[in-house]
Amino acid sequence: MNLIYELSRLDFKLKYYSSFLGLLWSFLKPFMMLGILYVVFFYFLKVGIENYQIYLLLGIVIWNFFADATKDSSVSITSKAQLLQKTRLSPLIVVLSAIVHSFWTFLINLVIFFIFFFGFGLTLNWSVLALLFLVLLLVLFTVGVSLIIVPIYMRFRDFGHIWDIFLQMLFWITPLVYQYKMVPDEYIKWYLLNPLARIIVDARNATIYNFFPEPKQLLITTIIVAIVLAIGWIVFKKHGRELVEQL
Amino acid sequence: MIEANELAKLYKIPHEKRTTLFETLLGYVKNQMSYEDFYALKNVSFSIKRGEMIGLIGKNGSGKTTLLKILSGIVPPTSGTFQIEGRVAPLLSLTVGFHGELTAQENLYLYGTILGIPRKTIKESLDEVFAFAGVERFRDMKLKNFSAGMTARLAFAIMIQTNPDVLLLDEIFAVGDKDFFPQCLSIFSEYKNRGKTILLASHNLSIIAEHCDRTILLHNGELKAFGKTKEVLDYYRTL
Repeated sequence: MNLIYELSRLDFKLKYYSSFLGLLWSFLKPFMMLGILYVVFFYFLKVGIENYQIYLLLGIVIWNFFADATKDSSVSITSKAQLLQKTRLSPLIVVLSAIVHSFWTFLINLVIFFIFFFGFGLTLNWSVLALLFLVLLLVLFTVGVSLIIVPIYMRFRDFGHIWDIFLQMLFWITPLVYQYKMVPDEYIKWYLLNPLARIIVDARNATIYNFFPEPKQLLITTIIVAIVLAIGWIVFKKHGRELVEQL
Repeated sequence: MIEANELAKLYKIPHEKRTTLFETLLGYVKNQMSYEDFYALKNVSFSIKRGEMIGLIGKNGSGKTTLLKILSGIVPPTSGTFQIEGRVAPLLSLTVGFHGELTAQENLYLYGTILGIPRKTIKESLDEVFAFAGVERFRDMKLKNFSAGMTARLAFAIMIQTNPDVLLLDEIFAVGDKDFFPQCLSIFSEYKNRGKTILLASHNLSIIAEHCDRTILLHNGELKAFGKTKEVLDYYRTL
């Protein structure tokens, strides 16, 4: 546990030392994304969603955590190749500390989100408590996915590109810039199997729209996340150690 | 106490190294997926008692590092078993885990945590570590400004803090200045007296001859000799 804290602290320090701009960028990124998406979808395409900036921002903050955490887990493993091969450092610890590192950034972004939220004159009610559970699901889902892709990445160095492309596609299949209701009925069932979509929709419900997510929907999300986490655990347990030799 | 029983490590070496998905797929298509069986270790069995200091010699590629990695728990053996009593401190590479951009003190916290030392203990032993390594003045200096000898002493110093029962050392005398040797050797003597076990892999045959009671000789992954250091060294010279 301690080690995870130390390692994420190390990564944080490295980012800070190597360039102050690098650190600034991780906080600037969501806002730059927000800016461009807002301009394109609100002004150009005239998507008429109320409080679109807030609507977008929450989704972006959640999305960035997932995207960055999964990418950083892979990079973290390869950058620590020496350590993994010459000491008893567990690859699991390396992955978890990368995710924790992204999580700190996520928390700060979330705080900034709420500053904007209140700045726009929106209010919260007790439904916001659901957000705690949703964040937990988000983290568990991210861990599960990372545990699956890191062994793949350890074996195939070009997987990074494949994952980037996959993230690009996932970006559009998640209701970040549009509402999930816009998805045609034939596809909505499959569409809503995406835990990220579910989490983002419910997160918006809990904060912007002030109603507590349906317990049944939360349960389904929990089950999906649990399955992903279980698969990740099995895959990583089986291949994690041996693939260190291939780094 | 270290007991090894029929340890073997098999690596499947592809005839062409394929690190990308693209190359692998291409390999299947072109039907070039052939592998070679490479036994880094084969039938390695030995027994080391507590308080012994054992040398591990053999030419490059004979399996010394692989054996140490297996005993450290870093790499699982393909077959065979081993038993080690007590806490194991592997020192397979003196400078791994150190980050140039962090200061010496920060590096110790990081490295110490990787070695499994609780943060509080690290804090308390910092003074001792710096004194042992002789680098008190450089606590807050970035590690990239340290000389190789200084880093070596520092790494060794923090490793000692874990108070291990078994020390597994891989070629630590390759790096390190003239101050480093006597410090290491004094620790070795102390450890022997306290009943700790040391397994030292090295090409420095004079140090092995002087300090190791018995020596293991590995050749092409097999244990060719294990016995009194002098006899094993003589045999090594004939290979």
